[in-house]
Amino acid sequence: MTQTDVAIIGGGINGGSTGLELAKNGLDVTIIDKNFICRGASGVNAGTLTMHMTRAQLIPYAKKGWELWMNTSKWLSNDIDVEKKNGLCLAFTEDEEKLLIERSKIRKEYGADITIISRKEAKRIDSNINSKIKCAAFCEMDGYVSANQTGHAYSKALKENKVKMLENYDVSEIDYRKNKYVIIFKNGEKLFASSLILATGVHLEKTLKLLQININIKCLPQQLIVSERMPKIMDTVITVANGKLSLKQFKNGTVLIGGGWPGKGNIEDNYTETKPENLIGNMMLACHAVPKLKSSRVARVWLGLEAETDDAMPIIGKLPKFKNAYVIGSIHSGYTSGPYMGKLLAEKFLGKDVDLSLFDIKRFL
Amino acid sequence: MINNRKYDVIVIGAGPSGVSSAINCAKKGLKVLIVDLNSNSGGQIYRAPPKTYKSISKKLEESEIQKKFSNEIKKFKIETAFNHTVWQVSPGFKVNAFNETSTIQWQTKSLIIATGTYEKIIPFEGWTTPGVIGLAACTVMLKAHHFIPSKKIVLAGNGPLLMLVAYYIIQFGGKIDAIVDTSSKIDWIRSTLSLITNPKNFKDGIKWIFKIFFNRVPIYSTSSIEKAVEVDRGIKVTIKNFMTGKTKNIVSETVAIGHGLIPSTDITRLLRAEHIYNEQKGGWIAKVDRFLRSSVKGVYLAGDGAGISGALAASDKGLLASSALLYDEKIISEKEFNQYTHKILKKLDKFEVFAIAISKLNSIPKNLIENIDNDTVLCRCEDVTKKEILKAVDQGAKDINQIKSWTRLGMGPCQGRTCQYATSKVVAEYLNYEIKDLGYLTGRSPIRPVPLDRVLGDFDYEKITKVEAAPL
Repeated sequence: MTQTDVAIIGGGINGGSTGLELAKNGLDVTIIDKNFICRGASGVNAGTLTMHMTRAQLIPYAKKGWELWMNTSKWLSNDIDVEKKNGLCLAFTEDEEKLLIERSKIRKEYGADITIISRKEAKRIDSNINSKIKCAAFCEMDGYVSANQTGHAYSKALKENKVKMLENYDVSEIDYRKNKYVIIFKNGEKLFASSLILATGVHLEKTLKLLQININIKCLPQQLIVSERMPKIMDTVITVANGKLSLKQFKNGTVLIGGGWPGKGNIEDNYTETKPENLIGNMMLACHAVPKLKSSRVARVWLGLEAETDDAMPIIGKLPKFKNAYVIGSIHSGYTSGPYMGKLLAEKFLGKDVDLSLFDIKRFL
Repeated sequence: MINNRKYDVIVIGAGPSGVSSAINCAKKGLKVLIVDLNSNSGGQIYRAPPKTYKSISKKLEESEIQKKFSNEIKKFKIETAFNHTVWQVSPGFKVNAFNETSTIQWQTKSLIIATGTYEKIIPFEGWTTPGVIGLAACTVMLKAHHFIPSKKIVLAGNGPLLMLVAYYIIQFGGKIDAIVDTSSKIDWIRSTLSLITNPKNFKDGIKWIFKIFFNRVPIYSTSSIEKAVEVDRGIKVTIKNFMTGKTKNIVSETVAIGHGLIPSTDITRLLRAEHIYNEQKGGWIAKVDRFLRSSVKGVYLAGDGAGISGALAASDKGLLASSALLYDEKIISEKEFNQYTHKILKKLDKFEVFAIAISKLNSIPKNLIENIDNDTVLCRCEDVTKKEILKAVDQGAKDINQIKSWTRLGMGPCQGRTCQYATSKVVAEYLNYEIKDLGYLTGRSPIRPVPLDRVLGDFDYEKITKVEAAPL
């Protein structure tokens, strides 16, 4: 039987960031994933690093996450494209204008440097946006990551930091005895661990059940749309005051239309399916925001499964009644905050004074 | 957008197998819709010039067969949706398509997929140079429009398509500077015995070869194109004989190259059907039973989609798949089904000998893969080179989907149709893996690029169906 100090189940951005930080602090870490590293939501999300869509309470964390993303060469890898861009959140109607002002004010109270700007000012920042907007919210702290490269970057960094990776290992049982953990895999192999961290994203409900902890984790299948490569048609990250949209053009010329329009999907067999009517809605909103987009073609559509707790706030921290067992997941706008949340959990693990009370799992038990 | 018309069967693809299966179902009273992105039935094989080409279209065999298809479709009251590109198929089944002006959704109980094949091209240095075209693409020009791509041309690749294209080009007044064939003359002679089992095609083949010899077209056997460079007024091609290592440069105007065909699996991959790897049958194919049922209930494969067996077998495969459907839907009895399919299966066995011989002539020699230069682009949609692929593999990418997300290979408009085959070969050889161990690209919608203006039309902001924003 193989042994490890820390077994992390789930090799997405949460598990990966926590594992990386622990390994850098000298711990022997094994990351287990039933697929490959960052092949779930971490690798297929829109990669938007915006404050405009972040839950107000999570803004301080998203800001720290954003800073980490802007400096990936220092802690992760050079093999991932990250771009800093201005973020514009658009209001098209008077009602939306009111909503935008109100919501931006709250986000600002939580630390996001968002200002309301006029149509003219917004057009000066990005001349490609629809001229019919009423106003826009502007934030310099925005940008995006090419999320498809996440797996590459994390695999490389984890390997360099001597984290062991068990990919395509599906956990069937966790045996807790004498304050230690025996992880039993579907293939019959076992792993002996002193500490345990659960970071299985949308599968967290099922994984927590292995320790007889019952909480609800919703699975939100979200659609993403990408265009073929086209000449530069925009230079900001666009979101909207009302409704779901995130829009940006990558360096290679493709435009990614996201925002979290629901598709169909389930966790059991990892099946996802697009809802054509929601694709149309999402595309319309995108073309309304940046009219030039209408001349392009959609090259690909895919879905990612986002995890959400009953109050749509993260669960991060110690698992009660277990020794050295932790959980991290359901972080809203998790891609932006993930690296920082992972770092925080690692610090907590290492005994530092970190306040994670806002994310305590006890609120659901 | 939603039309919601319901059918018993939707047949996707109106080539010979699609048409024969549609007729078979319609004859038994089922409500059938046949969809094709072309303006008429016939598929790639029976492609006829438009009706406006009056002087030539009458005499052609293609036109005759095509006319027969059209008449039968009308006779059996099969609904048609030509000029419609299917972009999404979802379980249940919902088929989404678009045409010149709008999008449409149909529903159906069963689905017959008769989407045929597309062409296989093994990349080489300069294969994305303007003027390098596909051999199958060249046949479309020749058949559908009686155009030759240029006055002078180099044909390269392998298989009978080389000879067919050569024949037509000479027929239409073009000059062939060279035929570059990866097979040897012995390969051709060896295949004769098998090819003769299909006298009709064999006779055509002899006719083509006579024409080529009579016109003294230089043939380079066991050779491939090493490099193509754009030069003043044309393309300079370097031909390399991989047995002797000798090279020769030729300047021509166009290069048409093709290494056989790949079964189209877009829709079956989208529906998460099981697939298997079968090199002889064209690569990754949907797994089917003897009667061409896929692993997804209600989805049947007609034609070359579940393995290449050629145009002559196509209509019989259509009959087989549709008979399975009719039996599963309890429209024909077990007895009728057995009697009918027994005959078809016997006939198909005969075609199989021919198909195997063709596939041998289309086999990809190892050298062709080994000789791909490190800087050669494998994925032309996203400009991913062999070097970048191998770097990802070195850093731990273990299957084709991981290679896709790390390098963007297969993420462009063609969705990997062009690059998957060659990339899998390159990586399998590099790692000493079997291709099946690398897996296949997960099917993603849209299966063809969807023009946004066409799908969306003109719309008012107020009319957009909104989805509530995330909580604050």
